[in-house]
Amino acid sequence: MSDRQLADWRNHALNLESEVNKVVVGQQTPIRLITTSIFARGHVLLEGDVGVGKTTLLRAFTRGIGGGYQRIEGTIDLMPNDLVYHTYLGEDGKPHVSAGPLLMSGENLSVFFFNEINRARPQVHSLLLRVMAERSLSAFNSEHYFPHMIVFADRNQVEKEETFEIPSAARDRFMMEIPIVVPNDDAIMEALVFDTKFHNVDALVNTVQPDVLQFDQLNAFSNVIQSSVEASDTLKKYALNLWKATKAPLDYGVKVSGVDMNRLVLSGASPRGMSMMLRAARVNAWLNERTAVLPEDIHAVFHSTVAHRLVFSPVYEMRRTEIAREMLQGIVNAVAAP
Amino acid sequence: MKTMIRIFYLLLGLNVAPQTAFAIDSQNLPDVPPGIVTIRTIDPVKLVGYTVGDIIEREVILTIKAPYKLIETSLPITGYEKRYKGQVIGIELKSVSHTKKENKDSATFDIKLAYQIFTNNVVAKNAALGPEYLNLINTKDSKDLVKYRIPNLDIAISPIAIFGQVKIENNMSPLRGPLLLSNVKENKWLKVSIGFLALSLLGLLYILGQRAWLPRMGGTFAKTHRKLRKLPQSPEGLKLGVAAVHESLNTTASMSVFSNNLGIFLAQKPNFSPMATELQQFFSLSRQVYFEPNAAHGLGTNPQQWLQSFVRRCRDCERGLTPETSTQKSGS
Repeated sequence: MSDRQLADWRNHALNLESEVNKVVVGQQTPIRLITTSIFARGHVLLEGDVGVGKTTLLRAFTRGIGGGYQRIEGTIDLMPNDLVYHTYLGEDGKPHVSAGPLLMSGENLSVFFFNEINRARPQVHSLLLRVMAERSLSAFNSEHYFPHMIVFADRNQVEKEETFEIPSAARDRFMMEIPIVVPNDDAIMEALVFDTKFHNVDALVNTVQPDVLQFDQLNAFSNVIQSSVEASDTLKKYALNLWKATKAPLDYGVKVSGVDMNRLVLSGASPRGMSMMLRAARVNAWLNERTAVLPEDIHAVFHSTVAHRLVFSPVYEMRRTEIAREMLQGIVNAVAAP
Repeated sequence: MKTMIRIFYLLLGLNVAPQTAFAIDSQNLPDVPPGIVTIRTIDPVKLVGYTVGDIIEREVILTIKAPYKLIETSLPITGYEKRYKGQVIGIELKSVSHTKKENKDSATFDIKLAYQIFTNNVVAKNAALGPEYLNLINTKDSKDLVKYRIPNLDIAISPIAIFGQVKIENNMSPLRGPLLLSNVKENKWLKVSIGFLALSLLGLLYILGQRAWLPRMGGTFAKTHRKLRKLPQSPEGLKLGVAAVHESLNTTASMSVFSNNLGIFLAQKPNFSPMATELQQFFSLSRQVYFEPNAAHGLGTNPQQWLQSFVRRCRDCERGLTPETSTQKSGS
């Protein structure tokens, strides 16, 4: 693919960002990260308080990407088969089976949104994780494929009642965990409260230009990005050092206040996590009109691609977000390139 | 009556006789044997230019060996006008005091004499303080009376004002040095100038110096500057140079500095604020050298030379100096 095509796709990507930024204000960084994950073909876990615009954000992206969009709400009584089919009594009085959210759009499923994933049982998690990893599902005596699907899930970290913590193996399947926080700009906060256009979410999402991207071409184009954007030896060495530092931060002089660093990390970033990090970094480089990855590209995605993969001692799990942020920032500060 | 007159003369003679018989004229006495008295005088430095009213102090330290000892009543008397050839010369002993220190076989007298000038003249004239005569007695032989002469001190008395038309060259005394102008002010300015020059020299050495013999010298950028000068002019040399500068930046900031946290670095080290644009240029160069060979750094055909001058300015910032303006334009 020529440089011109790369540039055309970049314009589309930036156009999509721009469209979403009109709908969800004050979230430039999460929007850039979601754009990155779409082109890196990675699943996204959104984390944030209630009512901060997570669902609106995903719906806006889905409209821009095009393709099938399905959504399911995580509840404590949700079972795996609820994702695959529905049973009901038809007008003829006989039981009928219809396709569930996963199967409804067939191969055109582009976005599957799992709202409040941590309210669903681990059985549901395991099914979803298989679908995420293999983009396929066995049902009704046949194999169903979802080659264009990206899973967006969100979880509310504040409420712990009737929730199931997503295990580290499950978290590792997500390319990114992106925090969504309320913007602290007074003008934006005022607009969110008083501007009536933000009150009707459906109407708001409908203002996004539809099908900015061609969802069924994203996989192929993603491969082009990954093969076009280079990584120098110096950058590879830098990424490896970052990886080692997530495993043994003390070796790099990284310390977190109030934490026994010898006991903190049970497991650092996984190989899958680091490869996803570099995929995302390549996309970030492409979005910034670069032909090679820079350390700054890694920094742009480092926290969102690595933090949720770290496994800490249970005593530090309650402070996970804060500790992970400080530790990863310490690693970025400690590891030099070149 | 005649008898009465004789008795009167006899009585008068008896009355006067003891005084004349026992009065001692020092100048008629023999000199003290050599080696008995040693003398040390502390004379005024100024020997000329005295005029009426001036007081001249002189200290005489005598050491008199036994068996002789000083007859202290022979010390000069205050108010005595000095004479020369019977003429009053206008110098009067204003005060005299002495201390005595007895040793085992000698005695030391510290005699302080102060003379006052009571004369003047239209031209300079010579005068002298002293001599003074002291009487000594042999303690083993009371008839052995001797004298000791304290040598006089020659001085010159000058007129208060020159009388009439005087050709100064003819009137100059060889004892008096040339008239001097006060150079206190010039000396002060000379010292200030020397101090200023020395400080300027130190400052120059500080700027140009390479060694760590002053505070803030020998910093990481100073070392890198030296290192860069030794690197070969080649792509490999450039690569090593860029890595060295990265290391210096990281050392200075105590963290890894990248283009995306340059703002934090400049906030921590405001000394480097004048280098903000050049630091961005450096990261462009680093990007081209280490990460993206196709990227343009915009630093011309000799980036190694640019890097060297960049490090030199960073070194100035490190030393708290304002970096000199870059003479090499980027892209040239």
